[in-house]
Amino acid sequence: MNRAITVRVNGTLHHETVDHRLLLSDFLRETLGLTGTHVGCGYEGRCGVCTVVYEGVAIKSCLMLAVQADGAAVLSVEGLARGEELHPLQRAMHDCHGLQCGFCTPGFLLTMYEFLKTPVSDPNTIRAAMNGVLCRCTGYVHIVAAVEQAARELAQMDPDERARWFPL
Amino acid sequence: MSTAPWVGQSLPRKEDRRLLTGEGQFVSDIVLPFMLEAAFLRSPHAHARILAIDTRAAAALPGVVAVRTGADFAALGPILSDLSVPNLPGVTQRPVFGPMPVDEVLYAGDLVAVVVAKNRYVAEDALQLIRVDYEPLPALLDPELALAPDAPRVYPEWRDNLVYAQEFRHGDAAAAFAQADVIVAERFRGHRCGATPMEPRATLASYTRAQGLTLWLTTQRSHIKRHLLGEYFKMPDSRIRVIAPPDVGGGFGVKAPLYREDLVICQLAMTLGKSVRWIENRQENLANIGQERDQIHDLELALRRDGRILGLRDRMLADCGDARVPIYVSFSMPWLGAMYLTNGYDIPNLEIDLKCVVTHKAGLTPSRAFGSFVPRFAIDRIVDIAARRLGLDPLAMREINLIKTFPHDTATGVHCDSGDFVGALAKASAAIGYADFRRAQTAARAEGRYVGVGFSLGIEFSGLPSQILVPMERQPGFGVASIKLDADGGVQLAHGDQAQGQGHDTTLSQVVADELGVTPEDVKVTAGDTQSSPFAAGTLASRMGGYTLSAALFAARGLKPKLAAIAAHLLQLPLGEVGDFEFAGGYVFPLGDPARRISLARIAETAFLAPTELPPGMEGGLEFTAHFEAATSGMQSTNVHVASVEVFPETGRVKILRYVAVDDAGMAVNPMLVRGQIHGGVALGISNAFQEEFLYDAQGRQTTDTLQNYLIAAAGDLPHIEVIEHHVPSPHTPLGSKGKGEGPTGMAPGALGNAIEDALSPLGVTLTQMPFTPERIWRLVAQAAGRGQE
Ligand code: FES
Ligand code: FES
Repeated sequence: MNRAITVRVNGTLHHETVDHRLLLSDFLRETLGLTGTHVGCGYEGRCGVCTVVYEGVAIKSCLMLAVQADGAAVLSVEGLARGEELHPLQRAMHDCHGLQCGFCTPGFLLTMYEFLKTPVSDPNTIRAAMNGVLCRCTGYVHIVAAVEQAARELAQMDPDERARWFPL
Repeated sequence: MSTAPWVGQSLPRKEDRRLLTGEGQFVSDIVLPFMLEAAFLRSPHAHARILAIDTRAAAALPGVVAVRTGADFAALGPILSDLSVPNLPGVTQRPVFGPMPVDEVLYAGDLVAVVVAKNRYVAEDALQLIRVDYEPLPALLDPELALAPDAPRVYPEWRDNLVYAQEFRHGDAAAAFAQADVIVAERFRGHRCGATPMEPRATLASYTRAQGLTLWLTTQRSHIKRHLLGEYFKMPDSRIRVIAPPDVGGGFGVKAPLYREDLVICQLAMTLGKSVRWIENRQENLANIGQERDQIHDLELALRRDGRILGLRDRMLADCGDARVPIYVSFSMPWLGAMYLTNGYDIPNLEIDLKCVVTHKAGLTPSRAFGSFVPRFAIDRIVDIAARRLGLDPLAMREINLIKTFPHDTATGVHCDSGDFVGALAKASAAIGYADFRRAQTAARAEGRYVGVGFSLGIEFSGLPSQILVPMERQPGFGVASIKLDADGGVQLAHGDQAQGQGHDTTLSQVVADELGVTPEDVKVTAGDTQSSPFAAGTLASRMGGYTLSAALFAARGLKPKLAAIAAHLLQLPLGEVGDFEFAGGYVFPLGDPARRISLARIAETAFLAPTELPPGMEGGLEFTAHFEAATSGMQSTNVHVASVEVFPETGRVKILRYVAVDDAGMAVNPMLVRGQIHGGVALGISNAFQEEFLYDAQGRQTTDTLQNYLIAAAGDLPHIEVIEHHVPSPHTPLGSKGKGEGPTGMAPGALGNAIEDALSPLGVTLTQMPFTPERIWRLVAQAAGRGQE
């Protein structure tokens, strides 16, 4: 059974007709071709690499149907940078070597995007906030360092400038 | 903005941007026109006869293109050949099997049927419609029972259930045990766990008569797989192209074997004449691959009263599962584990009896630490247990027994070219503040708190030389790199070790950039595609830092005489030696005379577009290939890790207070990337040691088939990992560099197991088994308390 839906993804409206049971993760990847969102477990909801920001909240896109997102706004990894300029968190991940294979990276970026709206740079708080995403390569040390750097930078930014990095 | 020299700098990676912006390219991101998707039906039984399979309803489902069962692949014949079975000195038996079982399944998760459909959703619907009549058969699940002479055979045509057996003998162990003041014996039991990358497997095959077979694969070794596929499908290698895309989501050994699913997908693409993709789901991933470390060690040490280890005996038993894993046959890991059993300890006399049995479980597949995870745990633990028995300090015990001088050959025949355990141990004990810790421990105990400290040693291979890799996997140990210039002077480097996140592009670019006087950004690195990269064994055994990196350096160096000759000719200078020229800033100029310079771009333009302007008699073009084989039978790094913990006996919970890794990478081309390798390696080791375990129920069904119950450590489960560099340059590589990656994982269980037992030493607990779950620790404490009351 199909249904027509409209979803705003990274600021662009998409009108698509999709099968009711299509997962949001597959909608992003297969229907829209936004393959930056990854799938590491799929309907187990544990690995977190499929995380996107949905109406301002980080959610696991493998645990949601595309039709449920009808009328909503979604931010995926493709929408984080502003043109050529990387989001402070993306830049910090680069500076601190916060990624190796990069398969989990979108999950961390989008999870910590929500966290950084109110930037906290305490490493223990950061670690706890990252528990929903698994990484097998980095041991998390450099990811924590990257989030610390981004948090410090964002905390120092003037609030309007900071808000521009958080469109959703 | 950084400047040369690039080697030694912690440059952020070239690979990052695409991965940070969602432009990475993993196999599952590739879409071909009219591509179909495959899904596998897998056995729910550990052992059963397949009486009948009815695929009619599945085949009739709209959107389904094909349903195939084992019978459809039977004509292809058995997979294993001399090319895909290790040729080690012990006694081997070889399982005979094709891509899909025809009438008998040998573990829960074994292949039964495959559906090809227009998409994954329809393919999974069709799986539900396939009816299979099974006759469940008794499952052999216990490796010790599998050893019994009257045990049922997993493979009826075999003599027994031994897929591999070897006796290692060196020196005179009997005499050592006869002379010993003390003999310490313990049984150490490893548990099934492994690497489990975040990206599951994915295979995409396409076939046309004109192009032959093209295969996109989540693999660590495209050339080897191409060659094996050629042999299996009786096609020349030239008709096959295997592509590991630029991005593979972690490998850690798990993506090194050739898998039966790959063969099925290739055959489907060839017979259907369509592109067929299979993306493994996590359930089938956990049920089938990434399982390793399933070993039991009955380990004994013969000791003098002063702590010197005189000899070692081990009866080592590995549960290899069904062992139907081409290239490894599940026993090359335990074999290498036995080879490295003595680790950093100088133990002159030994007897190891290695037995590798088959059972009705998933076959062992390689996982970072390759066979050594349990041996390391066992040896580091028994050294501490012996120290306690002798009333010696575990640090002193290590100082007495560690390998002190290099080169050194271990009793099992591992050649250790260079290293420094004495210095590394001193750094580790200083970092943890050993003497202060002991004082604090006494004070803590007085308050009823249980804190402890533990060390582990690690001798870790940096690549495997051909002398070992040829018998082990029938593969070359050399590193290979080809360099060529573009007509505009850009540098292209192709090599044989495609990355799965290690940052090879960046590291190799740094090395080549220094050699040719360009920036790392000027160097374009490719690997993984058999059509454009030179033949090599692929990414395994920490080869990059020692072998492939050296090949890249020699490839760049090999090109320089021609560059210098062209420069001299264009500058109208007498042709000198290459050493008379400097390469810097994208230019070539006479030493100390940058005013008279000529750009690489100009040289390249001449070589490609204006060969008439080359020196008389010189060929056009600019390229050079180097194969690097180190002039040693073993390149190793030496490492010491130390951990401190607090244990809460009433709950069994362990809190890691500090974890310090003192690691040797020979020299760090990119220290930040080296640290990243150590962090990730240690994290895997901690996660394995504390919370991961593949569990099978009494019927042999795996109960840990989701990430909700196969527990990979999250950030909050792990400590901060401190890294101290302690590099000992290898005399056998041009930069002194060694590999780093495989080793750190195996360090964690020894250091942490020792720390936990040390913390609980007032309670008399002996810890010989992983994972260190709260339940296990709590039970050990309870048992010890019960003993105390007897
Ligand atoms: S793919 Fe969504 S949580 Fe793993
Ligand atoms: S970088 Fe590979 S899983 Fe996180």
